[in-house]
Amino acid sequence: MRLFPFFILFSLCFSVCIAQDNYDAELIPSALRNRANATIRNEETVVDMRSPNNVMYTVKQAITVLNKNGDENARLVLFYDKNISIKSIKGEVYNEVGKLVNKFSQSDFKDESAVQGFSLFEDNRVKHFLPSVNTYPYTIVYNYEIRYKQNLIIPDWVPKPASDVSVEKSSYTFICKPSDQFRIKTQSLTTSVDEKVDDKQKVLVWKVNHLLGVKPEPYSPLKETYQTYVKIAPQQFSYFNYKGSYANWQELGKWYYDNLLKDRNNLPPATIEVIKDLIKNEKTDKDKARKIYQYLQDKTRYISIQVGIGGFQPFTAADVDRLGYGDCKALVNYMQSLLNVAGIESYYCVVKSGSEKKSLDPTYASMNQGNHIILCMPLKGDTTWLECTSQKIPFGFLSDFTDDRYVLACTSEGGKLLKTPTYSMQNNLQVRNANLVIDNNGSVNGTVKTIFSGTQYDNHEEIVGKPLTEQQKLLKEDYNIDNINFDKIAYLQHKDANPKITENLSLNIRNYCAINNNRMFIVVNAFNVIATIPEVRNRTMPVYLNRGYTDIDTIVYTIPETVIGIIEPIHKNIKSEFGSYASSAVLDGNKLTYYRKIELNEGTFPAESYEKFSRFITDINVADNLKLIFSLKK
Amino acid sequence: MKKILTLFSLLLFHYSAIAQSFNYGSITQEDINFDKNKIDSNANAVVLKEFGTARLQIDDATGSLVLMFDYHVKIKIFNKDGFEQANVIIPTYKDDIKQEFVQEIKATTYNYINGNLQESLMDKKAIFTENRSKYNSLTKFTLPNIKEGSIIEYSYHIQSPLIFNFRQWEFQSNIPKVISEYVAFIPGNYNYNVLLRGFYKLSDQKSEINKECLRINGVNIDCSKMTYIMKNVPAFIEEDYMTAASNFKSAMYFELSDVQMLNGSKQNITKEWKNVDNELVSERRLGSQMKRKDLFKDLMPTILTNTTDDLSKAKAVYNYIRKQIKWNNYYGKFSEESVKTALDTRSGNVADINLSLIAALSAANLDAEAVILSTRDNGTVNKLYPVISEFNYLVAKVNIGDKSYLLDATEPLITFGLLPLRCINDQGRVINLKKPSYWIDLKAAQRSVTSYMLTGKLTADGKIRGLLTTTTSGYAAFNKRREIKKYNSIDEYVEKLDESLPKLSIKKHEISKIDSVDLALIESYEVEFAVHDGTNKEQLFLNPFFINRISKNPFNLNERTYPVDLGASSDERIIINITLPEKYTLQDKPKDMAMALPQAGGRYLLQSSVTDNVLSLSQILQFNKAIYTSEEYLYLKEFYSKIIQNQKTDLVLKSTN
Repeated sequence: MRLFPFFILFSLCFSVCIAQDNYDAELIPSALRNRANATIRNEETVVDMRSPNNVMYTVKQAITVLNKNGDENARLVLFYDKNISIKSIKGEVYNEVGKLVNKFSQSDFKDESAVQGFSLFEDNRVKHFLPSVNTYPYTIVYNYEIRYKQNLIIPDWVPKPASDVSVEKSSYTFICKPSDQFRIKTQSLTTSVDEKVDDKQKVLVWKVNHLLGVKPEPYSPLKETYQTYVKIAPQQFSYFNYKGSYANWQELGKWYYDNLLKDRNNLPPATIEVIKDLIKNEKTDKDKARKIYQYLQDKTRYISIQVGIGGFQPFTAADVDRLGYGDCKALVNYMQSLLNVAGIESYYCVVKSGSEKKSLDPTYASMNQGNHIILCMPLKGDTTWLECTSQKIPFGFLSDFTDDRYVLACTSEGGKLLKTPTYSMQNNLQVRNANLVIDNNGSVNGTVKTIFSGTQYDNHEEIVGKPLTEQQKLLKEDYNIDNINFDKIAYLQHKDANPKITENLSLNIRNYCAINNNRMFIVVNAFNVIATIPEVRNRTMPVYLNRGYTDIDTIVYTIPETVIGIIEPIHKNIKSEFGSYASSAVLDGNKLTYYRKIELNEGTFPAESYEKFSRFITDINVADNLKLIFSLKK
Repeated sequence: MKKILTLFSLLLFHYSAIAQSFNYGSITQEDINFDKNKIDSNANAVVLKEFGTARLQIDDATGSLVLMFDYHVKIKIFNKDGFEQANVIIPTYKDDIKQEFVQEIKATTYNYINGNLQESLMDKKAIFTENRSKYNSLTKFTLPNIKEGSIIEYSYHIQSPLIFNFRQWEFQSNIPKVISEYVAFIPGNYNYNVLLRGFYKLSDQKSEINKECLRINGVNIDCSKMTYIMKNVPAFIEEDYMTAASNFKSAMYFELSDVQMLNGSKQNITKEWKNVDNELVSERRLGSQMKRKDLFKDLMPTILTNTTDDLSKAKAVYNYIRKQIKWNNYYGKFSEESVKTALDTRSGNVADINLSLIAALSAANLDAEAVILSTRDNGTVNKLYPVISEFNYLVAKVNIGDKSYLLDATEPLITFGLLPLRCINDQGRVINLKKPSYWIDLKAAQRSVTSYMLTGKLTADGKIRGLLTTTTSGYAAFNKRREIKKYNSIDEYVEKLDESLPKLSIKKHEISKIDSVDLALIESYEVEFAVHDGTNKEQLFLNPFFINRISKNPFNLNERTYPVDLGASSDERIIINITLPEKYTLQDKPKDMAMALPQAGGRYLLQSSVTDNVLSLSQILQFNKAIYTSEEYLYLKEFYSKIIQNQKTDLVLKSTN
């Protein structure tokens, strides 16, 4: 009897103590306020894999928005579709001192389609909400629960979502059956996992504390290479109505091939005949493939499609054949089917696309690393890659969209990681030769020939084939010089695995060389001035140069007779680990020759070298702005 | 070939027989051989024929009046850039009560291959509906087998309960059109105001009587059959510095004016302003909210502490509302919730906030009115008669003495009396609770002013060390304040600024009046930068345009179709005083200039000199108009070109030692 009230008292106290975290903004350590617009006070993410087709994802997040610029970090954005259902969302808003001022629930969320641009899709939707608070700081607490009807893709845990967000504490709990097998990949964790197993479940807990806000720095490495994360890939999985198991890329590729790709290659007999006829005079497999690729580019166009097994399964080849369009999956599958007719082997390859080079992780296989499909033809050692979504890209050329990275080839024997070609600094070339005549008024006219190759092939690719008035406009953006006019515009394309575009321009620039009293001012580097880059004090990140290139400009000016042709020859050379630069201006008779060559290396350099890099580019910029001053005859 | 010709003649007969839309599937040899040079050699695709009809009908299911719209088009695609014409999106409206339906979508691609016309009919499975948001659905489809030279044809039907705006018709789109025809059947008892916008005239217009086109409650009603035709319509191409495309695109707009009821009475829908005034004043979401003085009564003493005159009161109220209610980024001429809710939740749309402002100003015994307007991206409004649906924004107007100020409390950083640039669009309508409404010009109340003053010393090693003071007001100050506020502190802002200018270093800084938004923003920086490498001491070539040198011409094109709208007039002044290191004489300098745009549209002044070893330069660049006509474009271009040429030239200084 006596014990009873005591017990009640005790439990009351206990519940009060744990029920409420204190969200007083004063309690945020000052180190966490530095460079931060918002601080995650506490986040608890729990993934409970009850069974392969029932994964509960529960998040509790408390985030303090320190100022107006942090508002967007308080927005909650949840994607869902047929396979992902949002079970509950609720939240609270606390003021500066941590007093509850408002509550919200799922009905406050905006519900929208998650499709962007023109896309044929099935229900990809998004719910989002941003509480409206205008006194800072304030704290938002979210609790939400999402159910996944699959476990092939478990969301990655990335506790620090943005550079301007600091994290006080955050934890990730993964719960599964003791017998479940899975692989884990982690990065930049300071503490090890806490693991508990009993007969019913296995519980893994990761924690991080005190992740600081940082100033974004230009030329930083990809955040994937340094940010803290935990990724989990269960071995036994369920996805839509598929079941499978994988522990490496080989097995994942095999499952992919067997379940999503196999038997989607059938073509109508008429098309098979067309292909056979098309290649009947071609001797080598490569020549046959080139013909077939041309056929593909003429027949099809790209349309975004997000239907079919979570967006992973291509339309059948017969569908593409009938419709003449498809997305990357469908077009690659179609091309593969056409190549099959010619007996040419090819691989359906999953890649992460974009000009940033992001590889599939060779040490960790999982389903959510790619976002695009390309085709690889082994061709007995003469490996050739095909981008199938463009009607214009040359045969065998990948461009900077998918170059130099690991991709997953899904084949009947299983998955293999392959590396796409690298376009080197020496080959990413832009070579320009111009002959310009300056008249007595300082106006200029002449010809400019530029050859673009390697990843620079794309620099002016979009101008080729455009109507004339459109070309004039676009060229005025690329050669943005006052009073420039293009009298003739011509392009030549050399399309193969090392493609080239040659641009031939006839142009005039009225009053390009300014005349003042008895002097003429000639800005000799007319077309290619490097832009300066910011300086960064107290650089913390290594310097990462994604892709190297080489530019060579030669301009020969014919100077007018009115000019007194005397100048000292100018030579400028700048060299560093980041590349090299040489420019010169030399007068010979009435020919003034300007030469400029820049080579920029790719690579990763230590953080402290940033200052040197910034100076390197600034020095080049100064040299690029060279202005020659000539006296005029009286 | 023969087959097509017979088909063609047959269809022709058919076509003239009904004198209506062209028949589906009627591809002619003329279509196949259509030469784009006839209309626009730059076209990626051309609309060969476009036909639409709209009519009012009674929906059998509901018994209510609905609008039936039929659309039919035939497009020739010339190249790969024209392929996007084969991706079609039809937006429709829906809410809890009303919904538009798209029906009977039919689409076909025709390819002329080796003398044969191949038809590919679109599969119905290729049609998708996307619920974009609560109010919008998108019906999307794409046509099969698109090639260069394909002709595509599609048609669809929309049933809509939204009869107020009838159905607008765009004669102009992003590709040229050979012929675009619109037929509107308007029942005799319905009166629509019809407006043609854009630069092009109708090629033909017909009006006929269509007997007994509609039956309401057993009464047959005749319709006017209005036919509007435009031929050889150029593509609409957007240009830089222009306001809403809808201001310039050729299109037909409708607005229901009145309905003659069957009992003989007339129901006015679009009215004269005096009727609209009454409605707006009693409108729950507008006039009623303006009247909510009571909500601010108790707050007023606190808000008005330390205020003396009416102007300081108005500013105090303005600042209070700006601090108190946060804009949720939605526009609106009507309150979304109410002034009370906005105050309670401290959040609201444009109208919530500015109606609160009006109510609060009234509570402070100030004379406040509402101004409804259409934002720049929403187009200009019709001045002939009130078209309320064209307005999408509401601001406050406060009258103090003989002056009046337009106020928008959604922007915390804008100067009192200055509207955000989005509101500077032609005219707005002032709504007063007691007096009739009237038009007011929406012009920038202040010009955008920036002045730079650099005072310093040139050292022997070619560096200038000095103090740069920048003063900004108007939009220039507003934009700069917003930029500074993106950083957590002034130090962070200056750090970023310094880092972005690698050739210049900022030694010390002071930025004042950041939060006193009614005053000019003053930034001063102690700077250092190199102007020459110091090798030639005998003769110095020095480009004196250290600040905001103009090297690119913003008006670089050869022609202009639409007016150039800069939003606000602007004024930039630069004054430089540099003490030179030793005895130098001025040998040469950039030409002193004084030039003006026609009709006092703007001017540029430049003067420089060296006296007592001090180099002085002053420059003024003014644009006196917010809007320049397309004819003035070339003047603007040449104006800039002259400045650019002059700024390329250097000062030449010769040592006298």
